[in-house]
Amino acid sequence: MKAVQRKMFYLFSPFLRIFHWIMVDAIIVMFVTGILIAKPPEINALEPAQSMLLVNIIRQIHFLAAFGFCASFVFRVYGFIINKGDRLFPRFWEGHFYSETVDVALHYMFLRKAHKSYLRNPLARMSYFGLYVLVLIEVLTGFAMYNMSEPNAIGGLMFGWVNTVLGGEMMTHIVHHFTAWAIVLFASGHLYMVTRAEFMEGESEVSSMFSGSKILAHDPLDAKELE
Amino acid sequence: MFISFVTIKGGKNVEKRETMWEAYLRRGFSRRTFLKGCVALTSLMGLSTDMLDKVVEAAETKPLPVVIWMHGHECTGCDESFIRSASPLASDLVLTNIALEYDHLLSAACGEPFEQHLEETVKKYYGQYILAVEGAVSTTNNGTYCMSGGKPFVDNLQHVAKGAAAIIAYGSCAAYGGIQAAKPNPTGSAGISHYVGTKQVINVPGCPPIPEVMTGVVMHVALFGKLPTLDSDGRPRQFYGNRIHDTCYRRPFFDAGMFADHFDDAGAKAGWCLYKLGCRGPETYNSCGNLRWWQGMSYPIQSGAPCIGCANANFWDSGACFSERLPKYGPLPDVDIIGAGLAAASVVGVAAHGALSVVQRHERDKAEAKENEGKEQVAGK
Amino acid sequence: MKHIVVDPVTRIEGHLRVEASIDEGSGKVQDSLSSGTAWRGLELIMNDRDPRDAWAYIQRICGVCTTAHALASVRAVEDALGIKIPKNANYIRNIMAASLTVQDHIVHFYHLHALDWVSPVAALSANPEATAALQNQVLATYQVPLRGPVALETEAFAKELPRATPSYFKGIQDRVKKIVDSGQLGIFAAQWWDHPDYNLLPPEVHLMAVAHYVEMLDKQRELVTPHVVFGGKNPHPHYLVGGMPCSISQDDGNSPVNTARLAIVDRAINLGRTLVNQYYLPDLLAIGGIYAKAGRVDGGGLAKERVLGFGQYPLDTYNTTSDGSFFSSLLIRCNGVVENFAAGADKAKFTELKGEDLANPDVFGESVGHAWYEYESRDGDDKAIHPYDGQTKPKYTGPKVGTPTDWKELDEKGKYSWLKTPLWHGKMCEVGPLARYIIIYTRAKQNLLPDMTWAEKMMVDQVDAVSRVLNIPPHVWLPTMLGRTAARALDCQLNAEIERFFFEKLINNLKTGDMQVANMDKWEPSTWPKKAKGVGLYEAPRGALSHWVNIEGGRVSNYQCIVPTTWNACPRDDKAGHGAYEKAMIDTQVKIPEKPLELVKVIRSFDPCMACATHLYNTKGETIRIVTTDPYSGGQTVEA
Repeated sequence: MKAVQRKMFYLFSPFLRIFHWIMVDAIIVMFVTGILIAKPPEINALEPAQSMLLVNIIRQIHFLAAFGFCASFVFRVYGFIINKGDRLFPRFWEGHFYSETVDVALHYMFLRKAHKSYLRNPLARMSYFGLYVLVLIEVLTGFAMYNMSEPNAIGGLMFGWVNTVLGGEMMTHIVHHFTAWAIVLFASGHLYMVTRAEFMEGESEVSSMFSGSKILAHDPLDAKELE
Repeated sequence: MFISFVTIKGGKNVEKRETMWEAYLRRGFSRRTFLKGCVALTSLMGLSTDMLDKVVEAAETKPLPVVIWMHGHECTGCDESFIRSASPLASDLVLTNIALEYDHLLSAACGEPFEQHLEETVKKYYGQYILAVEGAVSTTNNGTYCMSGGKPFVDNLQHVAKGAAAIIAYGSCAAYGGIQAAKPNPTGSAGISHYVGTKQVINVPGCPPIPEVMTGVVMHVALFGKLPTLDSDGRPRQFYGNRIHDTCYRRPFFDAGMFADHFDDAGAKAGWCLYKLGCRGPETYNSCGNLRWWQGMSYPIQSGAPCIGCANANFWDSGACFSERLPKYGPLPDVDIIGAGLAAASVVGVAAHGALSVVQRHERDKAEAKENEGKEQVAGK
Repeated sequence: MKHIVVDPVTRIEGHLRVEASIDEGSGKVQDSLSSGTAWRGLELIMNDRDPRDAWAYIQRICGVCTTAHALASVRAVEDALGIKIPKNANYIRNIMAASLTVQDHIVHFYHLHALDWVSPVAALSANPEATAALQNQVLATYQVPLRGPVALETEAFAKELPRATPSYFKGIQDRVKKIVDSGQLGIFAAQWWDHPDYNLLPPEVHLMAVAHYVEMLDKQRELVTPHVVFGGKNPHPHYLVGGMPCSISQDDGNSPVNTARLAIVDRAINLGRTLVNQYYLPDLLAIGGIYAKAGRVDGGGLAKERVLGFGQYPLDTYNTTSDGSFFSSLLIRCNGVVENFAAGADKAKFTELKGEDLANPDVFGESVGHAWYEYESRDGDDKAIHPYDGQTKPKYTGPKVGTPTDWKELDEKGKYSWLKTPLWHGKMCEVGPLARYIIIYTRAKQNLLPDMTWAEKMMVDQVDAVSRVLNIPPHVWLPTMLGRTAARALDCQLNAEIERFFFEKLINNLKTGDMQVANMDKWEPSTWPKKAKGVGLYEAPRGALSHWVNIEGGRVSNYQCIVPTTWNACPRDDKAGHGAYEKAMIDTQVKIPEKPLELVKVIRSFDPCMACATHLYNTKGETIRIVTTDPYSGGQTVEA
C-alpha cells in the first residue's frame, strides 16, 4: 500500500475559533433558556419572595448569553480582517462556485463516489451563510423585544422598527422562536457533516476548529484563496 | 410639531374663545377650586407637581380648543370610554375645557343643520381645531361601505383633516384599522394616518383606550397648548411608554415562575401570572398597569382575564388564540413539538446518511484497492 | 309632499340615515325609509377563528351595549359545545347584564334622548326657585315604589338625591347662559331649539332636566363598576367560554374577586337603584305625563301589531338553549310574540317561542331583498334564509338619486340599507324593553304565566302604576313613542332590582363554599364534536339579540348575529311590509317638515344601535323637494 502524501493548510485564525466556540455555547444556553422562557417551569412556591425568582434568573441568563454572543462577534470581524482563511462567504460571483456546489451535492446524494477536494466546500459555505442570516434574525428580533421595555430609549429607537415590520411584537416573539428551531436544525446537520468529513473523508473538519489547520490528501481547488 | 392655534392669542378667530380660567370663573368657581383642578390634572397626566406652575399658567392664558369628533368604521366604544373619565369628568371637559362642536354621540343636532354646522366650524376655525377620529377608514368600493351624510366617510375625513391643527386617532381602529381590518378585511379598512396628508397623528390606541388616557390627551393640548411628547409610533409617551407586563402587579409571580395553568385553577384563584393563559401583557404598551381602569380599580389581568393586547397594531391577527401563548401560531400545533419532531427526523436521516456513507466509502476503498492492485501488477511486470 | 332626509342621525350608536315623504298639509308621513349606511363585515372576519375567542371579536360590534354581544356569543358557543356553566358564573353574568341595562338606559334617556324633549335654551327663562319647588314636587309625586324580594339591604340611606335648592339651579342656569352667550354652543349647537315641541314643557322642567343631564353624565360611570371588577374594564369587559375569568377566593388579596371587590359591586348596585328611583323615573313620568296630556300618543307603529322577545335571566344554570331548557329557567318569560296588542291585552294573540323553533327555518330567517347583500340561492334575495345557513355577500347598488358616493335619495324599491331584514314566520317584529313589557303584560292578563316570578309581577305592577299616573289604559300608551321611552325607564328600575337579586344569590351560593366560576371540562378542542352549531339568546337593553354559530373542525365556520336594531331598523320586505323604524315614522305626526324633530325623536325612542349608519328617507315618486344633507353643498334646498 502506498503511503498517502498529506499537506497541512493553516486556515482559521484563533479569533474565528474563539468566536465559533462561544457561539456554540451561547446557542446551547440560549436555546435551553429560550424554551424555558416560552414554557416556564412550575415553581409552586408559597410566595414569590420564597421562589428565588427562577424565571427571572432564566431570562437574565438568556440575555447574558445573548450579549456575550454579540460581543464575541468582534473576534469574528478581527479574524476576517487579518486572515484570508477566515473569509468564508460563498463566492457567488465566480462561475466555478456553481459547478463545485453541484459536485459536492451529487456526492452527498450518493450520485457521485467522491467530491473534489476543497478547503471549505461551497455547500458548507452556503450553509454558514444561511446560519448567519438566521442569527441576524435572532439578534434583530431579540434586541427588538429586549429594548422595547423602554421604547423611547436608544435601544428602542434602534430596534423598535423590527416589530413594526413584522406586524407587531407578538409576531416578533413568534419569529424569534421559530428561527431558534431553525438554528437547532442547522446545528444537527452541521454536527453530522463535520463529523462525517473528519472520520470518513479524512478532512480534519473537527480538528481544524481546534487547531486552525486542515490536513488534506489532495490539493484543494480553493487553496489559492489563501494566497 | 408646533400647533399654530395656541400661539394666536386674541387673533380674530379666537377672540370669543375663553380660557379654562375664564370658564371656571363663568361657572362661579373660586381660584382655589381652579388650582385644585390643576393639581388633579397635573398628577393625572403623570407630571411632577413642580410642573404645577406651568399647568396653572397654561390653563389661565390659553384659549379653549375647538374639537371636531368624527366617526368612521367604529362601535362608539371610544366615545363611551371618553365619558367614563373621572378626572377630568366628562361634563367638565365637554362644557368647560373644550368646545366640542361636532360629535355623533353627544351633539344635540342631526342631519342637515348638523352637517352645515360642521362646515361652518371648519371654515371659522380653519387651521386651529383639533380633529378627533374614532373608527377606521374604509376604502374598498370607493369607500361606500362607510357612508355618513350621504358621502363616504373617507371623503369627509380628508375634507375636515385639511384644516386641523392636530389630529387625534382615538382607539385601535383609527390608529391601526382595528377589528374591521382583521383578516380578511372585507371592507379594506385601515388606520387614518394614510388619509390625512402629512399631518402628525396622535395615536391613542386601545379597544377602547383607558378613559383618563383619552381625556388626558385633550387636556394636555388644552393646558399646554402643544401635543404631549410622542414616541416613534405617534403615541403619547406618558401613557404608552411601558409594557403592561413591566408594570403589572402580577409581575413578581412571573419572575417567580408562579402561573395559572388553567382558568379557575388554584393559581388563577390566588391571582398568579396569566402568561400561560395567553396574556399579551409582554407585548402590549398601555397604561393598564399603572393608571388602570376606573382610577386604579382594575384591569383585565387583575380580573383574571389575560390581556388580549388591544392597544397593539394587528392584535386581532396575532398568532394563536387569545388564551394560548407562544409557540403556537394559527392552526399549527405547538412549534416546539414540530421542532422536536424535525430534530428527531434529522437524527434518523443523519444515521441513514451515515450508514450509506460508510457503504459508499467501503466500496470506494475496495475499488481503489483494486485499482492500486492492478497498477502494482502492471508495475510488477 | 316633501321629501326629507336626516343623515347622520346623531345621539345613537353608529351611522343611520332616514328619509321620509311628508304631506305638508296634514303633517302625515306617507312613506319612510331607514338605512344603516355602514357595513364592517364582522361576520366574515369571524370565519376560521377559534370559537373560544369569538366573544372578543364579536363584542366589538358595539361599544354602547358593550358586553351584550360577548354574552350572546359565549352562550352560542356553549350551546354548540354543550357546556354547562357554574352557578356563580351565571349569577355574575346576570349581574353584569343587568348593570349594563341600568347604565345603558340612563345614558340613553339623559344623553341620547333628553335633548329631543328638553332644551337648554328654554331652561334660561326658568325661575330657579320655582325649579327647586318643582323638583321637590316631582320627587313627591312621581314615584313607582316597587322593590325586588331582597333580604340583604346594605345601604343606610339613598346617597344621591336630586338637589332641590334655588342656588344650585341658578348655578346651572348661569352656566348655560354663559355658554349660549359665548356663541360657542359646543354639543348644543345647531339643534332646532325653536321647534314647538320644546314649548310643551314649562321652563322649570327644562332647567331641572338639563341639570340632571349634567349630573348623570358624571354619575353613569359608577354604574358599570361590576364590569370593571368582574370583566376588568368597560367598555368591552372580558368573558370566558365555560364561565367567567374572574376567579373567586376569599383567602387571597391578589384574587380577582374577594370580599372587598364584591363590596364595590354592591355599592354600584345601590347607586343604580337610587339613580333610577330618584332621578330617572320621576323625570320620565313628569315629562311623559305632560306629553300624554297633550295627546302625544303616536309613534307606535309595529309595536301595535307585533312584538318579539326571547326571555331573560336564567335563574340557574341550564343545559343548552337549543333543547329549550334556557326557556324553562327564566326569571322573565317574555319568550314569544304578541300580536295586535293595540286592541287590548285581553284580545292580543300570544305565541310562545320554544326550543324547537330556534333551528326551524320557517320560524326565523333573514331576507335581503332591500339590503345591500345578495344570496346565492335559486329563490333570490327575497327568500328568507335561516341564520345557521346565513350568507353575507355585499352587493352595493347605490342610491336612486345621486351617485354611489354622493347620495340624494335612496332607492326604496331596490336595495337601500346594510341591514338585513329578519323575519319571524315571514313577518316583521319590534323588539326592545317595550316588547318585553307588552309580552309579560299580555301573558299575565291572559293567565298564561303560571307561578309568576317576582320580576314578572313587578313588571305588571309597574305598567299598572304608570297607567294610573297617566290615566290612560296600557294598550293605548304602551305602543307609542312615549311608551317605548317609558318602558325603558321601567326596565331600568326592574334591572336595578335584578342586579341586587342576583348579587344576593351569588353571595348565598358563595356561603355554601362553592367558589367555581368556570367549567373547563370542554375547554380543549379535542373534546369537541367535529361539527356543532348553537344559538345564544339574550334580551339586550335594546331587545332580543341572537347569535348563531357553526363550528367545524375546532374553528368557526359560519357566524351570524341578528341584533335588536336589525329587527327594528331593517329595510322593508316586499311581503312583510315596513320594519319598526319605518312604521313608527309613518305613525308619527310632523309639524314642520324641514325640522322633523318628531321623527328623530321616535327613532331615538328605539335607542338605535347601528354599528353602521342611518339615513332618514321618504318616497312615493311624488317627491317635490329634497332637502339635501350633503354637508359640503351649503345645505341649500334643491328642486328635484
